[in-house]
Amino acid sequence: MIKVTNLSKKYGKKIQALNDISFHIQPGEFVSIVGQSGSGKSTLIKIIIAELKADQGELLVGGWDISDIKEREVPTLRRQLGVIFQDYKLLAKKTVFENVAFAMEACGFAKKDIKKTVRQMLALVGLKDKEDRYPNQLSGGEQQRVAIARALVHKPKLLVADEPTGNLDSINTREIIDLLKKINNLGTTIVLVTHNKDVVNSLKGRVITLDNGVLISDQAQGRYLL
Amino acid sequence: MISFFRVIKFAFQGFFRNFWLSLVTITMMLMALFSTTLLIGIDYIKEATLEGVNKKVDILVSLKPGASREEVELLATDLDSQAEVKKVTIITPEENKVLYEQSNLDEKAKKVLDIFDEDENPFSFSLAVQGNELSQYTTILDKISQEKYQDLVDSSDFNDFDSFVGKIENFSKVLNKYSWYIIGAFLLISIVVIFNTIRISIYSRKNEIMIMKLVGAGNWFVKMPFILEGVLYAFTAVVLLIAIIYPIINFIQPSLTMYFQDVNVINISEYFQSNFFLIFGTQFAVLALLNILSTSIAIRKYLKV
Ligand SMILES: Nc1ncnc2c1ncn2[C@@H]1O[C@H](COP(=O)(O)OP(=O)(O)OP(=O)(O)O)[C@@H](O)[C@H]1O
Ligand SMILES: [Mg+2]
Repeated sequence: MIKVTNLSKKYGKKIQALNDISFHIQPGEFVSIVGQSGSGKSTLIKIIIAELKADQGELLVGGWDISDIKEREVPTLRRQLGVIFQDYKLLAKKTVFENVAFAMEACGFAKKDIKKTVRQMLALVGLKDKEDRYPNQLSGGEQQRVAIARALVHKPKLLVADEPTGNLDSINTREIIDLLKKINNLGTTIVLVTHNKDVVNSLKGRVITLDNGVLISDQAQGRYLL
Repeated sequence: MISFFRVIKFAFQGFFRNFWLSLVTITMMLMALFSTTLLIGIDYIKEATLEGVNKKVDILVSLKPGASREEVELLATDLDSQAEVKKVTIITPEENKVLYEQSNLDEKAKKVLDIFDEDENPFSFSLAVQGNELSQYTTILDKISQEKYQDLVDSSDFNDFDSFVGKIENFSKVLNKYSWYIIGAFLLISIVVIFNTIRISIYSRKNEIMIMKLVGAGNWFVKMPFILEGVLYAFTAVVLLIAIIYPIINFIQPSLTMYFQDVNVINISEYFQSNFFLIFGTQFAVLALLNILSTSIAIRKYLKV
């Protein structure tokens, strides 16, 4: 699903955010990426969703070599992924329903499909009765669930999450992680960047650890190292 | 086709849900439009005033007694063929007599006529000569005083307007010279202000734009609603402009009518009425175009996510 080969990225001349990273993620996996602040986790995610370009190395997403992706191909790539962020990134002037629908509208789905799928997704994340609210009328956990629904409406095979629980308390964190596990069980590959030791340890899945831009460990049944 | 309707839907959503932002943006545009319209109105009043004055000015050429009708007509045709001359009117001795009787001279002066018989007419022919432009009257006067006309011409008189015409003429020259600088400077300022207003409005919504891009929307799909919103801003601003301008026009029209004691000299309501599409349509088109351009330029940076 994701194949990274000798990937490097520098900011300016000095800051080596990623240094010769290689790993391979199979379809259906649930992979955690951990590492200290500034170790390059967000940089890696940004390269995967083509928000940034790597300096060197090769990156395949779903069999597509995006190392040299053109600007006009970026939307096509993003429609095959789902992305969630620490700060939710919801559209403040759109309702819950409209936020989720937007991802499908951008892909050109028909109105009927959109209505049905959005309702389904909102039911999945447990927000069926809040579809007419605006983001600022929701709690942080609820907002993140809207973002997850939005990331899933167009049925991506890969879901990328950069510290989705970073702003949440432990109960909400638990709920979001359970939701991600449920989604993974339905067949979606998940790449989760997190700081949360308990989350990583409870997942008992594959853990990739970065340190200063270098991949220092990749364990199939990993624990939080640092 | 689906995305076309979606783009329109998003444009209206953006317009109404960012109400205060839209209001501020439109207010800025309205101020620019209002000032432009004010300039147009002032320019019209200036032109109309000059034309009004022009119409009321003529040279009165008194001809020598005994000039025959044929000679007078020949002279009139001759003068009429001059490039500077707009119109020559022949005033017959009979008409002159009537004019004299009807003039507001006092009765004593009018009594002078009594020494003549009923059928005797002391008046001779005269000509009223109108020029095309105020500045040409001196040239016309010069031509009339040429040697070849002196057999016929008794005196020519500038109707006492001389100094007044000179002043008006100067005033309009100065006005014309500077009004282009003023209009130019003004348009430039308006363009810069509107461009920056749009830029700030896009800046304040940059997160929205970047989020849309991050969840897979194409550039066109993100950009079009903003561009349409720009057109909506232009439309709303022009509608508000019309709503403000008309009461103002109707308010000042009576005093303009009073000034020339004639509705037809400066009829600003009529002017705006008959140039409605030219004035407001052009302003809408230019503003909409400016908004489209500004939006496209301002949004580019945030689409690169
Ligand atoms: N836009 C940028 N310009 C310059 N340097 C940057 C930029 N973004 C990140 N960096 C630097 O690159 C390195 C990696 O940053 P990155 O955001 O990938 O870390 P991270 O692992 O996500 O950290 P955190 O856990 O705090 O989110 C850091 O040293 C950071 O200061
Ligand atoms: Mg980060």
